[in-house]
Amino acid sequence: MKATDAILSVTSLRKRFAAVEVLKGIDLTVTPGAIHGLVGLNGSGKTTTMECVLGMQSFQSGDVRILGRQPADIWQCHGAVVGIFDTPGLHSGLTVRQVLTHARMLCPKPVRSPAEVEDMLGLSRYSHYRIRQLSLGNRRRVSIAHALLGQPQFIVMDEPFNGLDAGGVDDVLALIKDLNSQTGASFLLSSHQLAYLESICTHISILHNGRIALTETLQNLAGTASTQLRIVCDKADAAVALLQSDPAIRISSHEQNQLNVQTVGIDAAEINRRLVMAGISVSELQELRRGLHQVFQDIVNAPADSPLPEAS
Amino acid sequence: MISSFWVALRAEIYVGLRSHASRLVVILPALIACAQLVLTSMLTASREASETMFGGMGAGQIEGADAWGTLVDAYATGLTLIGLLLAGYAAWSLANDKDSGVLRHLLIRHASRRTMLMVKLAHAHLLGIASIAVLLVSCTLCAWLIWDFGPVVEDGYELIGTSEILTELRLGLLLAIIPLPAAITMGLLVSVLAGNSTQALVAALGITLALDILKGIIGAASDYIYASYLVSLLDSSYLRDVSRLVRGFSDVMINPTTLQMNQWVPWPQAIFLLLLAWYAINRKPV
Repeated sequence: MKATDAILSVTSLRKRFAAVEVLKGIDLTVTPGAIHGLVGLNGSGKTTTMECVLGMQSFQSGDVRILGRQPADIWQCHGAVVGIFDTPGLHSGLTVRQVLTHARMLCPKPVRSPAEVEDMLGLSRYSHYRIRQLSLGNRRRVSIAHALLGQPQFIVMDEPFNGLDAGGVDDVLALIKDLNSQTGASFLLSSHQLAYLESICTHISILHNGRIALTETLQNLAGTASTQLRIVCDKADAAVALLQSDPAIRISSHEQNQLNVQTVGIDAAEINRRLVMAGISVSELQELRRGLHQVFQDIVNAPADSPLPEAS
Repeated sequence: MISSFWVALRAEIYVGLRSHASRLVVILPALIACAQLVLTSMLTASREASETMFGGMGAGQIEGADAWGTLVDAYATGLTLIGLLLAGYAAWSLANDKDSGVLRHLLIRHASRRTMLMVKLAHAHLLGIASIAVLLVSCTLCAWLIWDFGPVVEDGYELIGTSEILTELRLGLLLAIIPLPAAITMGLLVSVLAGNSTQALVAALGITLALDILKGIIGAASDYIYASYLVSLLDSSYLRDVSRLVRGFSDVMINPTTLQMNQWVPWPQAIFLLLLAWYAINRKPV
């Protein structure tokens, strides 16, 4: 894909705060229709990346194009780009309805009324509450409601699940999915909630040590990563001897009649077949597929001088 | 850019009409000035009652001076507050939008940083116009209900006629209003440079008061500072002279050079401060 076709294209982005280089050459591309998750440890530079992308912070070098424009000119997209930040940016003295009316005034092509978006986010009963009277979760809902007044093409969300209760998280996840499927809106989400990202993202980028350590589609991440198996059988020693002979299989641990193995490209059924053929009775075989959490852990726990683990 | 300016200004006015800070800027100066008028009228009535009781109005008493003098003092009090509040509001406004994150939504969706600077500048000026209008109307009405206005007379001789008083009063007010845009742009510059809204507010008020003190120290050079023409706590504006004039002092006369400086010095300073803010706003994180 050409950079010009991308919703967001970040090339060699470097950002320094005094002597500390936070971003050491970020490369990131968000494709049309993608829900792109950006994950990283606290202080890894997720928010800084988003702020640079949206023109809130200057950067030392690199190129950022968002819908083909530079960050300082995003306003010329006239509402096609929306940012929802960790701290909801709302006038605390206004009511929910007034905040949304104000946001609608600034929306060039509004497609929904304040009452409609209040209804969509369960804010109707708080319509006449001042923002300062709302909980953090409800403030975040109002902040998200901003995005729904118009028809954005690209929504950047920094920690969208912070402060939300379980129901609120489900609502936001459903909204992201609906907006993505119904309007084709692309998303860049940053969060520590890997499970939530895993449930909606099409792409994941892991930010570590100031660089994008891994960018992959979620499908590839799940399909190409190695698989953990837990096997309970009657002849554990014989099973270890058999499986160790295959270089695609690594024995992680072995205890009495239970062993944990890591495989690449060999599925559980094949392992079971080999053991049974060797006369070993398998009483339990459990596949522990490596998820985003495991991939993330592998990357952040890798020694600084070792090559980063790859997903494919 | 022009259309985004008008839409953003309209949205700013929408918020301003519902904000306590904006209401405070418009109403507080008029409220304090009217309170000063009422209090002075009560003190005057009490003094006159006392004089009547102990021997009546003495010879040499100037008639009409209380009414005009108190009204000009009330205007001066109101304009002092307006100068401080507008500088403070301009400093607080943009910095507060940065603190709360509101500015981010505007910058992403609708307007450039420089457009937002101009919107804040225009909004502060609209607030200034509103607060001056409310001050003039409420003080004039309040004074008109309390006193009878007419020429200033001493021992049967007219010292100064009503039309001359009104002419000087109009000039005094005009000269006091001219430096307000410079005070607003100083506040905006501080707002752009400050780290947060508290810092911005404190710095803007501090600079205003520091300039007030400075103008008394630097002598003739103070003619080149816009703050010399603002009505302030250490007042050196022409309105202070008008206050003496309407009390029957005959030595009041504005120097033509001072008049020229008052009319022209604040404008280039306002433009210079605005250019600095214009340059700085694209270089600060929001």
